[in-house]
Amino acid sequence: MAGLSLKSIHKHYGALPVIKGVDLSIDHGEFVVFVGPSGCGKSTLLRMIAGLEDITSGELHIGEKLCNEVEPRDRGIAMVFQSYALYPHLNVYDNVGFGLKLAKTPKQERDRKIRETARILKMENLLDRKPAQLSGGQRQRVAIGRAIVRQPEVFLFDEPLSNLDAALRVDMRMEISKLHKQLGATMIYVTHDQVEAMTLADKIVVLDGGVVQQVGSPIELYQRPANLFVAGFIGSPKMNFVPVQVNRIEGSRITVSGQDVINLTLEADASAVKPGDELTLGVRPHDLAPASSGSIVGRVGLVERLGNETIVSLELPSSSNWLAVLDGDQPLNRGESLALSADTNKAILFDANVNSLIPKAPG
Amino acid sequence: MKSRSSVIGGIVALVVSFVVFVIPFAFIILMAFKDRRQAARLDFSWPTGFHLWDNLVTVVTTRNWMLITAFINSTILTVASVTLLVVFGAMVGFVLARRKTKWNPLVEFLILAGLMIPPAVVPTIWLLQGISLFGTLHGMILVEVAYNLPFTIILYRAFVATIPKDLDEAAIIDGARPMDVFFRVILPLLWPVTVTNIVVQSVGIFNDFTNPLYYLPGNANATVQLTLYNFQSQFTTAYNLLFTNIALITIPPLIVFLFFNRQIVAGMTAGAVKG
Repeated sequence: MAGLSLKSIHKHYGALPVIKGVDLSIDHGEFVVFVGPSGCGKSTLLRMIAGLEDITSGELHIGEKLCNEVEPRDRGIAMVFQSYALYPHLNVYDNVGFGLKLAKTPKQERDRKIRETARILKMENLLDRKPAQLSGGQRQRVAIGRAIVRQPEVFLFDEPLSNLDAALRVDMRMEISKLHKQLGATMIYVTHDQVEAMTLADKIVVLDGGVVQQVGSPIELYQRPANLFVAGFIGSPKMNFVPVQVNRIEGSRITVSGQDVINLTLEADASAVKPGDELTLGVRPHDLAPASSGSIVGRVGLVERLGNETIVSLELPSSSNWLAVLDGDQPLNRGESLALSADTNKAILFDANVNSLIPKAPG
Repeated sequence: MKSRSSVIGGIVALVVSFVVFVIPFAFIILMAFKDRRQAARLDFSWPTGFHLWDNLVTVVTTRNWMLITAFINSTILTVASVTLLVVFGAMVGFVLARRKTKWNPLVEFLILAGLMIPPAVVPTIWLLQGISLFGTLHGMILVEVAYNLPFTIILYRAFVATIPKDLDEAAIIDGARPMDVFFRVILPLLWPVTVTNIVVQSVGIFNDFTNPLYYLPGNANATVQLTLYNFQSQFTTAYNLLFTNIALITIPPLIVFLFFNRQIVAGMTAGAVKG
């Protein structure tokens, strides 16, 4: 039984702060995904949990044990690397059994565990091969096998699928998800691919600039982003943003307008807002629909017709660009004027500190 | 179709290697078959009689079977020195390539200094005498290791840099201690360089003449190269015996080379295409 807890974790490279105070608790058996743009510190954080990087300050508990100074081998973890990091001079059997050999596991038990792992990952026929004789997907399988054979409490994945082609990535993603259900172990997964994050995670941790921006379930992050960064990062295509001004406040209903938006009324947490305030309006491309009386009017730029949907880039009066994903095939022409209405239940307002003004969930 | 120029190039290469490698070797073998009178003429003539066996017996039994002692000494010296060189050179190369500290420039300077500055003989002897290692085989081994270590380190360091660091980390996560990482993961992957090192260093140390001459005096300590002096003197030289001796002591390096030849080629290609 091993959950993790991170308390005020910091990491400095010399004078350069990379992780600026991360507090996080992860329950046993949870699938947690660290996601964020390149250089946000997600891999560093994972490597600190693994014990490959020192922790400058803060406390890392794995299970009940304080693990700041514990050697990686004693932390009860296993890690899968982006580059697979298979030992080129050993065959698959020895690659998988390497950790057991170091732990001086008796030969018969070792053999049983290796074959059991090979069975789980359906790679019994690969045991005699060297890594160089394997395809990318097979190497990934071996790397995962090397992790599960040691029966760790916590699995760490560092962008394990980014070297695979698109089709294989979907397969392996499902396999990892299945594996998680089968083993019931805690898994921490680092990726910059939000599709992986959304599909795999019980809990997503969004990082930017070494700071946790938001922690929550995938849908929670999508529907109720805590700030502008999370709103922009989660969801594809990216959320559209536009500056607006508050016109009127009636209870929790705020009416805003701006250069690009005419009188849009939406529900928001209005407690700290007064008329005349500058806010940012965010609308997801999927929440826009063509409407002759729409509050957003722009000139059609690029049109991508995918058959089941049409992705339109729209140039607004303030010359900012929006994307809209419209249902079905829309025969639009470049340069034409298009009016769109935004789904006001799903549009989000952000205050000057870029925090979202989503009304508190009922109850 | 082979072009005319490549055929001519091939013939030139064959002729050059024949002149450089085969003719001297043939000369050595021919001399070993001659008797003393014919050998003294130092010409490229066919032996008049078969004297190889007599020459061999004389060479081996001279000065109380000195050549046998010399072979044993040289073998111990070569095997021990090369083993230490490979292990220590790889270790230093590994640490230098992996761990960046403020001491690295100093260490690199010392390595370069070891390559560039010629060793001073008298102070070395004085030091060896001070620690009672002068004239002993293990003292000689340490001297050979010290002289050849910089070159070995430089070879290894360049190669360690091509091994991805992920492998070290994967091994650490798998529970490897530093020694396990080195001996179970890194050293096996360094095999191509290790072979190069074994060949270059063992041939060099086995054929070393000057260092054993300075640091390893005494009949009991002779190495094979020093036995050549048995048949030369200021006024007379027994050329038939000298060349028989040369033929005998050329054989071990030749075997090393023949044995590792395939591995060197295999190692080169393995390094070129990384799996």
